[in-house]
Amino acid sequence: MNRFVPILAVALVVACSDARAPLVASDVTINKPMPGMQMAAGYLTLTNNSPEPITITDVTSPQYGAVEMHETMIEDGISRMIELSEVTIEPSSSVAFEPGGKHLMLMRQKGEPDLVTLELHADETVVLTISVAPGD
Amino acid sequence: MNPRKIFIATVAIVAIAVGAWLSYQVASPPRAQSTRAATLLNGANALPEFTLVDHTGAPVGADVFTGQWDLVFFGFTHCPDVCPLTLQVLASARQQLADSGFEPLPRIVLVSVDPERDTPDKLAQYVSHFGEGNLGITGELEELRKLTGALGIFFGKSMREDGSYLVDHSSAVLAFDPNGQFRALFGSPHQAENYVHDIPIIVDQS
Ligand SMILES: [Cu+2]
Repeated sequence: MNRFVPILAVALVVACSDARAPLVASDVTINKPMPGMQMAAGYLTLTNNSPEPITITDVTSPQYGAVEMHETMIEDGISRMIELSEVTIEPSSSVAFEPGGKHLMLMRQKGEPDLVTLELHADETVVLTISVAPGD
Repeated sequence: MNPRKIFIATVAIVAIAVGAWLSYQVASPPRAQSTRAATLLNGANALPEFTLVDHTGAPVGADVFTGQWDLVFFGFTHCPDVCPLTLQVLASARQQLADSGFEPLPRIVLVSVDPERDTPDKLAQYVSHFGEGNLGITGELEELRKLTGALGIFFGKSMREDGSYLVDHSSAVLAFDPNGQFRALFGSPHQAENYVHDIPIIVDQS
């Protein structure tokens, strides 16, 4: 039974986002922090259905003190994370945040939330709000 | 040297190289199964002496790597993306090897490259998340550098504007044999199926 919970959570996200909405999130996964830690990684795919590029400039979450967009880069066998100041999704295309690549870095978790909400900002506007149950 | 002498010297060097290659081909037995991802190392260098601590707080030296096969990764707990990903790959590979009845199963070892924040207690919680029997190692920075330096592992702090920091680090996983000798290196990206394929070969060839 337990393994259906994440599927339901994803279905909820998909159901909430209109397929014709300009920006759609899919494959949303937010990890629970490792034991003893207050930070976690988040992954999702953003699809831009609008005719204009959409640039995410900031991500916030009421359940976390800070959320940053990061990218893990491996160069000459050395792994480093760099912070991305913005991420642009071109018209009719997608950008994937996935393990070992771009990711959301959620820092300073507040309590132990059952649901994590992410607000994606394009400058002053919140262009997408997603809520998902964090997984292991 | 005049051009003629250079020509003769060049011919001589090429001839020696070809000869050496031919004799190697003749002398070496038919090639055993080759690895997919791992680079095998035959030069067995002894580890230098160092004093670090394991995740229980007990002091450990170079002999911590003797007695079993080890897969050693260098990472840190404030690393939510690539470090858990790598440890999950290792844990999954180990499980698949166990399911297939393979022995000896390697132990998974995380050496912290952030000893400032990674206390034994933090490491204990972190490594146990990826299964039982895993080992965490941390300790003093200078002692850590003795180990990483000998293995060609890089790590360095990357300061951020808010005063916090991340740690850049080598992404390789090293395989140590039960004599504590560095036998093979897996570069990233790490994939469980490559470990499942390569580990029996590495064990077999050493
Ligand atoms: Cu990150």
